[in-house]
Amino acid sequence: MAIEIRDLNVHIKDAHILKHVNLTIPEKQITCIIGPSGCGKSTLLRTMNRLIDSTEGVRLEGKVLVDGADIIGSGAGITELRRRIGLVSQRPCPLPMSIFDNVAYGCRINKMYKRRKGLIYAVQKNLKAVGLWDEVRGRVRTPASRLSIGQQQRLCLARSLAVEPQYILADEATSALDPVSSKTVEDLFVALKRDYTIVMVTHTLHQALRIADNVVFMYLGEIVEAGPAAQVFHNPQQELTRNYLSGVFS
Amino acid sequence: MPNRYEMIQRRILKDRVAQGTMCGLTVFAIVFLAAMAVGLYIKSVPVLENHSLFSLLGSSEWKPMKGEFGFLPFIAGTLWVTGLAIIMALPVSLLTGIYLTEYARPAVRKMVFPALDILAALPSVIYGVWGMLVIVPWISERVAPHFIEFSSGYTVLAAGIVLGVMVVPLLVSLFIEIFTNVPVELREASLALGATRWQTTRKVVLRKTIAGMLAATVLAVSRAMGETIAVLMVCGCVVGIPSHLLDACYPIPALIANNYGEMLSMPLYESALMFAALILFAVVLIFNLLSRIVLYRLERRSI
Repeated sequence: MAIEIRDLNVHIKDAHILKHVNLTIPEKQITCIIGPSGCGKSTLLRTMNRLIDSTEGVRLEGKVLVDGADIIGSGAGITELRRRIGLVSQRPCPLPMSIFDNVAYGCRINKMYKRRKGLIYAVQKNLKAVGLWDEVRGRVRTPASRLSIGQQQRLCLARSLAVEPQYILADEATSALDPVSSKTVEDLFVALKRDYTIVMVTHTLHQALRIADNVVFMYLGEIVEAGPAAQVFHNPQQELTRNYLSGVFS
Repeated sequence: MPNRYEMIQRRILKDRVAQGTMCGLTVFAIVFLAAMAVGLYIKSVPVLENHSLFSLLGSSEWKPMKGEFGFLPFIAGTLWVTGLAIIMALPVSLLTGIYLTEYARPAVRKMVFPALDILAALPSVIYGVWGMLVIVPWISERVAPHFIEFSSGYTVLAAGIVLGVMVVPLLVSLFIEIFTNVPVELREASLALGATRWQTTRKVVLRKTIAGMLAATVLAVSRAMGETIAVLMVCGCVVGIPSHLLDACYPIPALIANNYGEMLSMPLYESALMFAALILFAVVLIFNLLSRIVLYRLERRSI
């Protein structure tokens, strides 16, 4: 299953942020959303897990189908929806607790494990999945804020994975990281697409070039062009896309 | 036209003068605090020379005519009233603060904030009058008959309620300040994992702000301990250690305000009142120091 967006319009107060967005996000691939800042990339991402709700004066129209079910206008299913859609934000933000508790947080919230053993195993598994286990074993009870920024971001990813989502949304997840950590996280995403459907907003074209299976180019709240990465990058259909890719504007 | 060098000299001079002035004022504030403590101590020396500290703090005999000064009833009264006020005000303020920052729409916030400010700025004598006209009769007629035969209504309970109501706006605005300082990303991280807003509040916001909440509470307690007029108007001003909520009480600020300037011809009386002020000073100081230590520990432990 996948995410399908049909004629989505998002207004925030008087501003028309997203205009008639139609998009299909194929499963178990990486879809990169690119475009100049302020074009609505993040808004689109935040609509997919309805975090946009916390923005004041927001109005949603249209349909966003996740696994065939429309998430716009449904109230009660939001928390379950958010469990199924993980989010990795721009700046890593570990919760004010230990490394272990950070990863366990979502599991506890969602009451996923009856026994403590299961929880410990899950935390271990997810820390291993992001390559953090070897770095933090023996000090998982220390505050997560003592990790380096790159480690924190991987911890946030582990935290998202721990609630067993099907989708991962990443909002410029590597932009606050140093080049080495950035590369590590990027490689992680590539490895994870085997099991997860990944939507990524990215600020660097190079990153999109490296890892995207599909590319969505947005401009002023509209989708200008979307398609397989090879096609969008090497044979763009739109003038605007060509100009953006060749660096005429950014 | 002054040359470049002179202009730079003048700017540096201004900077130095500004720094010096501000530094001086800061030092003044600290010296002022110390001077007050020393002044109170000097004034209380006579009574301290005639009585042991133990008997002053531990005795409940208050007979100024006979030269007996036991401050225990007043200390107990202060603690009873302050404790009751905080116990009542804390949950109310906390839930109000949570509602306003985590749940309420901005329009609601815009309406409530000015109201809170006005409540916080009301002169305490108005709260006192409200207590006398509303709370005291209510306790005397409605509450007390269920428990004891007769109560005038001027009780620990009345003082606690009035003081609690006075502290709420202060606490709420402090809590709001603290909660709004929690980064939005942190809340979103929790929500994105499928947590409800209540879960997010309990496990993330409150956890992150525990040190700040403690500091706010300490500030409120300190304010409550020193509150005089409103408490004096409804506490009953009867010397004695209160044994339950429907007893009258006599907190330290009320003692000082009621008696200073009168009967000062009595030997040691003025000195005794100054010693009462010193006790209050010390209690607030110790309370603040203790909370600093706890805060320090909390901050070192996590976050």
